[in-house]
Amino acid sequence: MQEQKYLIETRGLRRRFGTQVAVDDLNLLVPAAGVYGFLGPNGAGKTTAIRMLLGLIRPDAGEVRLFGQPLRSNHRALMSRVGALVEAPSLYPHLTGRENLEVTRRLLGAPRKLIDFALETVRMTRDANRRVREYSMGMRQRLGLALALLNKPDLLILDEPTNGLDPAGIHEMRDLIRRLPDEFGVTVFLSSHLLSEVEQIAGHIGIIHESKLLFQGTLAELQRKQQTELTVGVTRQDEAIDCLVNAGWSVQRRDGLLTVSAALPEDAVKVNRLLVDHRLDVFHLALSQRSLEDIFLTLTSGQAAGRAN
Amino acid sequence: MSLIRALHAELLKLKRTLAFRVIFVLPFFVALLQFFVIWRTKKFSPGFNLWQTHPENSFQIWAIFMMPLLITLETALLNGIEHSDKQWKHLFALPVPRRSIYLSKFIVALGLILVSTMVLALLTVIVGVVAVSLKPELASITGPVPYFAIAKQATLVWLAGWLITAIHTWISIRWAGFAIALGAGIGGTFFALFAASASLGKYYPWLLPMNLFLEGRFTTALVLGIGGGIVAALLGCFEFVRRDVA
Repeated sequence: MQEQKYLIETRGLRRRFGTQVAVDDLNLLVPAAGVYGFLGPNGAGKTTAIRMLLGLIRPDAGEVRLFGQPLRSNHRALMSRVGALVEAPSLYPHLTGRENLEVTRRLLGAPRKLIDFALETVRMTRDANRRVREYSMGMRQRLGLALALLNKPDLLILDEPTNGLDPAGIHEMRDLIRRLPDEFGVTVFLSSHLLSEVEQIAGHIGIIHESKLLFQGTLAELQRKQQTELTVGVTRQDEAIDCLVNAGWSVQRRDGLLTVSAALPEDAVKVNRLLVDHRLDVFHLALSQRSLEDIFLTLTSGQAAGRAN
Repeated sequence: MSLIRALHAELLKLKRTLAFRVIFVLPFFVALLQFFVIWRTKKFSPGFNLWQTHPENSFQIWAIFMMPLLITLETALLNGIEHSDKQWKHLFALPVPRRSIYLSKFIVALGLILVSTMVLALLTVIVGVVAVSLKPELASITGPVPYFAIAKQATLVWLAGWLITAIHTWISIRWAGFAIALGAGIGGTFFALFAASASLGKYYPWLLPMNLFLEGRFTTALVLGIGGGIVAALLGCFEFVRRDVA
């Protein structure tokens, strides 16, 4: 099969539930290889989008393409290359871990040895013969990941895989996901409501908020997206603001200092020279980069920022 | 091929389940009841034939009450394990046609009901043989065990139950709660007890297995049981394939 640049491509994807629009005009582009972090606060539309990517629900408008082919007319062929873990894993508690894998293996008609491969990958070989009802959350989640790996997928779609796990479980899961692209050449599409979770492992990021995609690109692009700030301490602030605004800078007062939207060290030099030329005394000058968390919170509106504070 | 794989997977899911044990328990109740009835009968009427009356009684209790109850329970248990951990989203994201998943559920339910009905047939023979050995007077008025007739009767009752099985398969897949499936089963059986004498009872799904024993209703019961069962299963499958998975 021809190598595709984008493993997931959605065009104008839209889905409503009653009067509520869950996903609106979603255009995802998920490149092959690496981890793509699909970020958004709870209720932003992540799970609805993922359900459409898997064909679990149908979009009201728009199209999903996986591996360059429309999902609608190729669901089975495409799903044979996709592994998925949506929300909590679907397990049969009365069966053992190995039996749970065997159920899915039989459905897939996959070779038996893949069960051992999947168990080893998620480090569950030792507990494979215990019944799932005795499993901890972390073990259930890892077994869910093993189920998703059972068809040796090219694309792994994981919806909030660390939800409900304790810190050790989160760490283990994150570690596991990070290894997958390198060891098995699988592309991981990972949703989360925590940027901190994704920024350590994802190369590409998509941010969804209130059913709309606000940003999509690499982590570096996201960092560039929000300009670096220049904080300036200066005497006679009113005059300083007039002078800077006249010169085309955008200026805000904050905590007794001025914040100028500027990105580069040269900008700092220019601002300083401008103020000094106007006989204004500069006593503080600092370029500061905003954290990704700040950018994420800003993008997902003041409401989200308010919650976080 | 995918249907065979789905059936293969279904069989593993049955391991350690109540669904599997129930198919042996319910026929046992019917056989036990029949045993006591024969054992406590003081005097058999002239012309009494154990091998005609006894299997017929067993299968009538089975047809009107126990089998519909068993179908309700089996389908609710079989599909309940898919609702409990929201398995549908996992199953539907696999490269397996939804129709194979649905039809395998229907076929496994039919299979379990068949096994259970055959267990009843076997117990019916055992009860008869034990009764003859306990009551020597029966030996003189009873012939050899009609194995074929008993197996045939069991098969016919099972076939007439296909429509009920198809309806319950759909209900228990469509709604997650055990209560809805149970309510439908109790309601269906409850009305069947009174619909037997009504003329429309000829077409009432929950009465079809019993109708095999009623005059003038045999053919309708069999045709509607099997044909209706297949049509209802296909309709249920049609709806299932198009459904959104929450």
